[in-house]
Amino acid sequence: MNFDAKQADVGSVILPPPMEQRVLDVRGLNFFYGKHQALFGVDLPVARGKITALIGPSGCGKSTLLRTLNKIYDLYPGQHAEGQILFNGENLLNPREAVEDAPPAAGLAINGDNARLRARIGMVFQRPTPFPMSIYENIAFGVRLHRNVSRAQMDEIVETSLTRAALWDEVKDKLDKSGLSLSGGQQQRLCVARGIAVEPEVLLLDEPASALDPLSTAKLETALIELKQSFTIVIVTHNLQQAARISDYTGFMLMGKMVEFRPSGEAFVRPATAAMRDYVTGRYG
Amino acid sequence: MAFNRHLFDRHARRKLVNYGFVGLTMAATAVAVIALLLILWSLVANGLGGISLHIFTMDQPPPEMPGGLRNAILGSLEMCAIGMVMAVVIGILAGTWLAEYGEGSKLAEVVRFLNDVLLSAPSILIGLFVYELLVRPLHGFSAGAGAVALAFVATPVVTRTTEDILRLQSNQLREAGMAMGAGKSYVIRAIIWRASRPGLVTGALLGFARISGETAPLLFTSLGNPDLSFALTQPMGALPTTIYQFALSAFDDWRALAWVGALLIAITVLAANIIGRALARGSHQS
Repeated sequence: MNFDAKQADVGSVILPPPMEQRVLDVRGLNFFYGKHQALFGVDLPVARGKITALIGPSGCGKSTLLRTLNKIYDLYPGQHAEGQILFNGENLLNPREAVEDAPPAAGLAINGDNARLRARIGMVFQRPTPFPMSIYENIAFGVRLHRNVSRAQMDEIVETSLTRAALWDEVKDKLDKSGLSLSGGQQQRLCVARGIAVEPEVLLLDEPASALDPLSTAKLETALIELKQSFTIVIVTHNLQQAARISDYTGFMLMGKMVEFRPSGEAFVRPATAAMRDYVTGRYG
Repeated sequence: MAFNRHLFDRHARRKLVNYGFVGLTMAATAVAVIALLLILWSLVANGLGGISLHIFTMDQPPPEMPGGLRNAILGSLEMCAIGMVMAVVIGILAGTWLAEYGEGSKLAEVVRFLNDVLLSAPSILIGLFVYELLVRPLHGFSAGAGAVALAFVATPVVTRTTEDILRLQSNQLREAGMAMGAGKSYVIRAIIWRASRPGLVTGALLGFARISGETAPLLFTSLGNPDLSFALTQPMGALPTTIYQFALSAFDDWRALAWVGALLIAITVLAANIIGRALARGSHQS
């Protein structure tokens, strides 16, 4: 891959994973907060079983982009998206549109059903958001929404999820204690465990470590790298080292546009665009 | 000369003004606290001596006969309980609608405004309204009408506190629930209400404290009844109406009973507050 640096400086550089590896594929996405447009023709190909990091200065639209992937913006009447978010063989923004080259369907049609979509694309937020119930019930909450399981099965799901989120050893003796009694870092891993208990295909993380101390951050990152075996992860982060450490692909955004999207190794060593080079070397934002 | 300059130095003057202001706020606080203590003291001094088992076992007596307040205590409890059930159901649902669904709608603004009007409406108007609504059409004073009148007084309190408390919950918590694939109403019931429980209980207790001493709404509705009655279709005794009747009377026995009744109401309100705080604290730790 040779870049003509001068040419690259002008526009954007997108080096996506091959089509057949993509689980989610965003194409030409425009997003509006009321009349204010926040995303301009954004492309985001998400490779299955990889960690994709979204970086960029505050206000560049990376969180906005993440929030379109499970349509959580739906909650707010003034917000809407146009374009294509391809998942499970369909365009999430227009279920009836016939899409030929979408990532293949792997389950029931989503058909505009947000509950079904969110069972398959989970989300962890910037600040830990444990539900006001016991640690056990925090995990069981989502599972019960989507299927019926016996008490024994639920016990197993709770243990597996907490183990995978690297929290089991710390909480196994106090599963009946409130989720709010945990430390911030533990709460965040509880939220990860809660998210994966539903067995989604994709896990979205919106700056999950921004409220955590370095040790908690390290534990969370270790958990995420382990989780890559079974889940596709998209993470928004302000922390460039974090993006470089854990991600396979990196998308750099600026003012509502995807400026650079490449495998992380290359992107951080030799940014192709001047904008990303400035950002990565600390001269921007 | 040097001393004078020091006294009118701007820093020294600022310090003086500061002390003066702190002194004023402390004095005002002292006035409020002393007034409250005087009220409590007069209740205890005049009421405590009259408390005996008879108060809880005997109904209110004719003048210059032994008796208690059983009919009034139980009547108050029954009407307050029924009124609170109505107020809590309506108030929590209405407050939830205002906080969770009424965002930016004109109707919500109107409802919120009317609720605030109702919140500060003189309770005698509510008594008259329920008189016209229930007492006159049904041709008689009744405990049921009294409970409805009390519900009218407590509902705006519960509605208001419910809305305020629910708004304190972060949007991220709502989003987290929705992101699990739960519907909005389920997120509200299973997560938001649960997270707000201490506040909701406090709101209900505030409503209860407000109505447990209300007299005016009952004068036009449940009227009062010297005999023990549990029937919702009949007039019913209540502590505030009995106090009103006895305190204005010429009989020493009755006036003594009125003091006891006032003390009981004060203790109830105090207990409601303490229990509310204890519950709120307990649920934070669990």
